[in-house]
Amino acid sequence: MKNIHSLWLLPVAAIVSPVYAADYLTVEQAQKAIFADAQSFEARPAKLTSDQQDKIKSLSGLRQRWDTQQIWRAVKNGKTLGWFVVDEVIGKHEFITYGVGLSPDGHVLGVEIMTYRETYGGGVRNAIWRQHLVGKTLADPFKLDEDVPNISGGTLSSRNVMDGVKRVLAIQKVLNLVE
Amino acid sequence: MASLKRMRPLLGTFVEIGCEQSDKSAEHAVAAAFGVVEKLHHLLSFHEQASDLSRLNQAEGKAVAVHQHTLRVMKLARAMTLASKGLFNCTLGGAMVENGVLPNHNSPNQDGAETKASGVANDIQINAHTITLSNSIKITLDGIAKGYAVDCAIAQLKRFGIKAAWVNAGGDLRVYGDLVLPVHRREINGEYVSLGGLQNAALATSTVTDVYDKTFPGKIVGSSTSPALGSWTVMAHYAWRADALTKVACLATAADRATMIERLGGRIVTVK
Repeated sequence: MKNIHSLWLLPVAAIVSPVYAADYLTVEQAQKAIFADAQSFEARPAKLTSDQQDKIKSLSGLRQRWDTQQIWRAVKNGKTLGWFVVDEVIGKHEFITYGVGLSPDGHVLGVEIMTYRETYGGGVRNAIWRQHLVGKTLADPFKLDEDVPNISGGTLSSRNVMDGVKRVLAIQKVLNLVE
Repeated sequence: MASLKRMRPLLGTFVEIGCEQSDKSAEHAVAAAFGVVEKLHHLLSFHEQASDLSRLNQAEGKAVAVHQHTLRVMKLARAMTLASKGLFNCTLGGAMVENGVLPNHNSPNQDGAETKASGVANDIQINAHTITLSNSIKITLDGIAKGYAVDCAIAQLKRFGIKAAWVNAGGDLRVYGDLVLPVHRREINGEYVSLGGLQNAALATSTVTDVYDKTFPGKIVGSSTSPALGSWTVMAHYAWRADALTKVACLATAADRATMIERLGGRIVTVK
């Protein structure tokens, strides 16, 4: 076993913040991350009728809370590689934007978190959080604008995102995007 | 150099992998590291019925052939159960099902034996390729699998030649190379408190609350004692060990806590 006496946390200056947030991928980056072979992405935003929203609910068991959904067709040599859908989760403590890649026959190809925000209390829910909250050590190799702390704590469930993916699969079906 | 970081929903939580490089080879390395975590997700999930863990829990005392990863994590879990005198206890699967924390896949046992709430390390027999459970126990790897997955993802990043990186699986995190990772801890009241900078080490936190919150579904069950309320953070060289030792931290008595954690290869982290 390695010596535990080498286990120390280094001092860093810290600003206390009520919000934690991180940006991972833009829409374009998330599209590329899931459909690396695609030559283009055709925007195909969907406007869902209330009838379609009801169908989504009965297929997935989850309420479709908004009537527009951002969808792209991933194309290679004129063929459909699949569909890229941007969706959001607004939970009690989290606000998450993520992208889902779906195959033409209705399977999940990948899920990438695009932005992730944890907030507590109604007052900070909509706060725009851009300020990175980290101090430095002398040996710190980070650039200031890239510093984002990591969070340790009770494990946050990803259930809401998994439910969202289920709903996105239902959207694909309702819009007849399944071959 | 710019950095690259990605997050995916895995292991029932969010897994972030980042490294201090942002070229194509870094993207491949991060994708491969996620691949390992995904593999472990399918092997060690209590929720998935076809996982190695679920097959083992439903084998009713028969030997079950499992993946090398499953053998390895079970060896670690068994050893820690023994060394911590059951404060960390991977045989508490039955109790977790009773508490409604984990799903019950089983039809009643064919031999009529009742699942036991918990057992002891000797109820687990590990051979070269198989594992056998006796005394109708169920295994839960909740207290160690996330940490183990973090260690495997780190090993993969190193294999791909990444010089400095970190992996954070729902608060169990590990970092290596020439970088200092600032870490905040989410407190029970929702505040974020700085713990300091982590370098070439792992850190895990378990939070014990008296109110159930489905956003943070973790629940700690002891075989004899009740867990102490609060956030318990432990540092170690490996994430599996830090993860497991947070359970020891919240179940140990205040007098024994620090020395016990040290004896088991970790260090308790206190917020000043």
